[in-house]
Amino acid sequence: MDIISFNHVSKTYQPGNAIALSDVSFAVEKGAFVCFVGPSGCGKSTVLKIIAGLETQTAGEVEKPDKVSMVFQNAALLPWLTVWDNVVFGLKAKGMPERHIIIETSKYIEMTGLQDFVAKYPHELSGGQRQRVGIARALAVNVDVVLLDEPFSALDTATTEELHKDLLRIWKQTSKTIVMISHSIEEAVSLADSVILMKAGHIEETFPIMLPRPRREQGGLFMHDVQTIRNKFFV
Amino acid sequence: MKQNHIHHYHRHMSISYPVSVRQRLYSLILTPVIVLVLVFVVVQLLGKEVVHGGPEISIGYISIALLTTFGRLVVSYFLALMLAIPLALLINKSPKAERILLPLFDIMQSVPVLAFFPVVILFFVHYGLYNGAAIFILLVTMMWSIVFSIVGGLRVIPQDIKEAAHIFGVTGPSYVRQILLPAVFPYIVTGSLLAWAGGWNIVIVAEVLHTYMPAGSNVQDLFGIGSLLVSSSASGDQNVFFVSVSLMIVFVAFLNFFIWQRLLKYAERFKFE
Repeated sequence: MDIISFNHVSKTYQPGNAIALSDVSFAVEKGAFVCFVGPSGCGKSTVLKIIAGLETQTAGEVEKPDKVSMVFQNAALLPWLTVWDNVVFGLKAKGMPERHIIIETSKYIEMTGLQDFVAKYPHELSGGQRQRVGIARALAVNVDVVLLDEPFSALDTATTEELHKDLLRIWKQTSKTIVMISHSIEEAVSLADSVILMKAGHIEETFPIMLPRPRREQGGLFMHDVQTIRNKFFV
Repeated sequence: MKQNHIHHYHRHMSISYPVSVRQRLYSLILTPVIVLVLVFVVVQLLGKEVVHGGPEISIGYISIALLTTFGRLVVSYFLALMLAIPLALLINKSPKAERILLPLFDIMQSVPVLAFFPVVILFFVHYGLYNGAAIFILLVTMMWSIVFSIVGGLRVIPQDIKEAAHIFGVTGPSYVRQILLPAVFPYIVTGSLLAWAGGWNIVIVAEVLHTYMPAGSNVQDLFGIGSLLVSSSASGDQNVFFVSVSLMIVFVAFLNFFIWQRLLKYAERFKFE
């Protein structure tokens, strides 16, 4: 069952009618992990913003859940709130009862390994820990779709790999649908069920990734999939 | 042009707090001492005659005058804050309001308050509302730096924070309470610091009301440190003048040390990286 579908969606920005998306169609199944890759300005962020409800298309049809949550590139945490309060932030806005807030927040704090940091402020955390808070906040609001906007692009390799493992574990535990954008083809292939390559506002090609996880351990097969997408990326 | 204007204010507002003990002690002790010595020297050099035999003015009397002025500044400051915050939020929300209000405020903050509002001041004075007149002068003086500082602060809220608020359903009054007000807190503090500096500067003008009235006398002046400075200076009472200035400088230094520096430090937590 599809939870998100774009049907001949276009988006132009005023003034000047700059084309961000041109006749984009795709569907995301419930519980799938989809990753958009492509060069800067190819429209992948616009796709994410339309799903998030931050922007609307100028043509075509979009079907998506009313409520989604999002993990941002720089975590987008509120510096004056502790880790606990940042995770609670989205839940409080939904008007949840206090007891429910405490249960849900504790659950996702634990799932993201932040138990020892609940009273810390964002400036006291490392980049990876901040992204964990962003992930916990996005999961706590209990929506079906979680969007990830290049969440690991500012992190070092070791932290990124650690977070990749945790993200896959959390995805399996929660059965959320994940739509991610990334500038790294390796990251997309290692995480997603399918990788959608975008160029100049349209979808160039969709690549289903059939390899079993963990994929980097597949060696040559992993690199083969990466190279296949890379060949299309640089054409 | 408009952007430059805001950036100008934004740069202006970027006050940092003294972090080291040496810097903090400097601001608490050394600065007032240096200023006091300078004032003393100037008073000694310029004072030609010393009037004796007038009413005896004690340090207690001067302290009460200082606290009275401080109370007037506190009332004016909170009124200025209550006006500045909604005005800055309106400018931030509506491009039309920004186009109209920002240039208007720029002119009003550049021109002395008395040039704009003599009629309003005379209205207060006419009905015997002397405190109202003084508070109005102080309020109009203090407001602009807070408005421009908050407007500058609202401009630098990162886009992803705004998007996160939208996605997590924090909108309307909750958005103002949970995002905008905390985000501009450092800018409210720096704007307030400048507002208070302006307030202390204008206090003489605000309390010596008889200068606005035809055939006015100092009976119409308000009791406070500003009017005391003017009357002691006019009557050549150097001791009262020097003690008044000294108390005021020490008081302002203590306010800076115990309130503003702490608030500036606390505000660091609210800044986006």
